[in-house]
Amino acid sequence: MHARSVYKIPNGKLLKIDLEYDPDNGLIEDIRITGDFFAHPEESVELLESDLKKTRLSEVELKQRINSIIEKYNISFIGVDAEGLTQGIMRCIN
Amino acid sequence: MKEKWRLLLTGFNTASMNMAIDNAILIAHSKGKVPPTVRFYGWKPPAVSIGYFQSLQEEVDVESCRRLGVDYVRRVTGGGAVFHDKELTYSIIISESHPMIPRSILDSYQRICGALVRGFRYMNVEASFAPVNDIITNGKKISGNAQTRRYNTVLQHGTILIDVDVDRMFSLLKIPGEKIKDKLINDAKQRVTSLSDVLGRPVLFEEVASNMKKGFEEEFNVELIKGSLTDDEINDARFFHEHYFSSDEWNNKR
Repeated sequence: MHARSVYKIPNGKLLKIDLEYDPDNGLIEDIRITGDFFAHPEESVELLESDLKKTRLSEVELKQRINSIIEKYNISFIGVDAEGLTQGIMRCIN
Repeated sequence: MKEKWRLLLTGFNTASMNMAIDNAILIAHSKGKVPPTVRFYGWKPPAVSIGYFQSLQEEVDVESCRRLGVDYVRRVTGGGAVFHDKELTYSIIISESHPMIPRSILDSYQRICGALVRGFRYMNVEASFAPVNDIITNGKKISGNAQTRRYNTVLQHGTILIDVDVDRMFSLLKIPGEKIKDKLINDAKQRVTSLSDVLGRPVLFEEVASNMKKGFEEEFNVELIKGSLTDDEINDARFFHEHYFSSDEWNNKR
């Protein structure tokens, strides 16, 4: 199932999420993160997108997963953070 | 003795070539082939650039751009969509480990924008850095900036608005629904200004360039020596232009 959200992060940038997910088990199948934020190194957002596949759409699990991916690839975000990403993704289904 | 950096005045180029030149300088500097470089340039034809993480389809009215002869390109830097018309664009390419460059990306925005603030002051425009990546005067944005770091090298580029046409800008960008279009345009008119607006007279590209040159020299305590692109940089720029920045694959990447 496809879902989409546009979320202005408080004190941050505009985040747009395109989500493909399985409504039966609540797992992410595919995700695209776009917006006017900054991420260093830039390629890490593609890694984040691919590592988020098969993550359960629950606020707690998502945030944990995103934080561990940020740590794994040593991503520096500006204008977006794990909390903002989590909220943006959850808004796709709420 | 003051450190000597290179100043490049590359004139007006297409969107793709402009981004290709910045990238070529980044590569050359990362290999130690050229000194730290400040470049001033413009866009011909006018162009929309989008941030690395934006979707071209969602942000830019590509049909309108084609019809009006406006270029478009995806930048290597994050941030938002920008309509480049009457402005001076600068770029600075310098090693991440240069003592003048703060390690922190946020701090380095402020440092580099400090050069522009000094340049504005030379033009009798009181401006200040507005985190994360803007410069404002009288509460309105007059400059937007974006940075990437690759191969241990900082590339920051940004716009200095000489004149601004918000209506034209919005005719090239995709707006989520006509209903809020008027509001967005009015908001932007309140939020954005330009050197011509502030000074109440026409302002020339060359005038901005010479004042910004002084601003960079003062902020970094260096001498900017007018130079030109090396043969390698020109070849690399042509390559990046042809294979990256003018390609659908790059521009439609997201």
